Amino acid sequence: MSSALWIAVLAAALGTLLMRLLPLLWMQRRLERLGDAGPEAMPQWLGLLGPLMIAAVLGVSLVPVTPGPLAWLATAIGVLVTLAVWWRKRTLGWPVAAGVAAYGAVVMLLG
Amino acid sequence: MSLQAATSPARPWLTGMREAFPLLGGYVPVAISFGLIATQAGFSAWEAVIISVLFYAGASQFLFVGMIAAGSPLWLVVAMTLLINVRHVVYAPNLAPWLTSSRGWPWLMHTLTDQVFALAHARLPQLPEAQRLGWFTGAALLAWASWIGGTALGAVAGGELIARWALMGEILPFALPALFLVLVAPRFTSRRWSLALGMTIAAALLLTLVGLTNVAIPLAAACGALCFQVAKFGPTAKGDRHE
Repeated sequence: MSSALWIAVLAAALGTLLMRLLPLLWMQRRLERLGDAGPEAMPQWLGLLGPLMIAAVLGVSLVPVTPGPLAWLATAIGVLVTLAVWWRKRTLGWPVAAGVAAYGAVVMLLG
Repeated sequence: MSLQAATSPARPWLTGMREAFPLLGGYVPVAISFGLIATQAGFSAWEAVIISVLFYAGASQFLFVGMIAAGSPLWLVVAMTLLINVRHVVYAPNLAPWLTSSRGWPWLMHTLTDQVFALAHARLPQLPEAQRLGWFTGAALLAWASWIGGTALGAVAGGELIARWALMGEILPFALPALFLVLVAPRFTSRRWSLALGMTIAAALLLTLVGLTNVAIPLAAACGALCFQVAKFGPTAKGDRHE
């Protein structure tokens, strides 16, 4: 890589780090200023965006690597199995394992 | 939140690693693809790995090497990379109320990806204060290491791996939506939240399908926030709880 390209890599990496780090320092100062307010110290719009960002990441990740009828069917069945196991177990690991297994079974059996 | 997971008081980092394990199903295949694409774009294996170590942000890494390969001006490459990553600004403040006073936290923010945030946002409030730093360190470092390792694998032997394990590359990434589903499901606590979350998921899915993957997350979240605010004044908001 040329020197200019290295500088571009470092600038983009530093900028990304600052976008992850500076809001934390701002929020920590706000929490200190407001005492023991905890989550209540968070501006309402910010507390709203947290769960919604996770939902958005879910929406993006639901699109299969190679979209097609079989992949969408596998996704639908994988989602249903994941939800069913979560409903019974209320844990993190088992629903994910069952969902991936169901997705894989549909792809391999019908593919 | 009704997610429960067994935690080991002595080794919270191990619990973190175990709970972050499903992330690898999504990270490793994508990191292998990145390593392969970066070398095909003219970067050496070491350069691809360094980009994964320093950026640690999937979509922007693909955009970065793609724009460089296409000969775009460097200032534009940096600007576009930062624009895609701007969504990260809302992550750390959402975790801040549950972070302890350790000086290690700011350093760990480098590892705060979409997926690590989703996991930490659900789990940190459930953990005793003394276990949070260890849990986050284990979860975040495992995810980061898998991203770096996957990039190295892809850069060195990506073509052969993708040819041999094509089916696994299709199946394992489903671990990501399955994990997010488990993280989001307990948040459907009222009609108002259900509407906002459902709209967000649908909008993100549609935006991705029409090729707007890079802006799908912030745009869909904004759409969901709008729904949440509008529903407050609508008749369906009556009787809603847990807000």
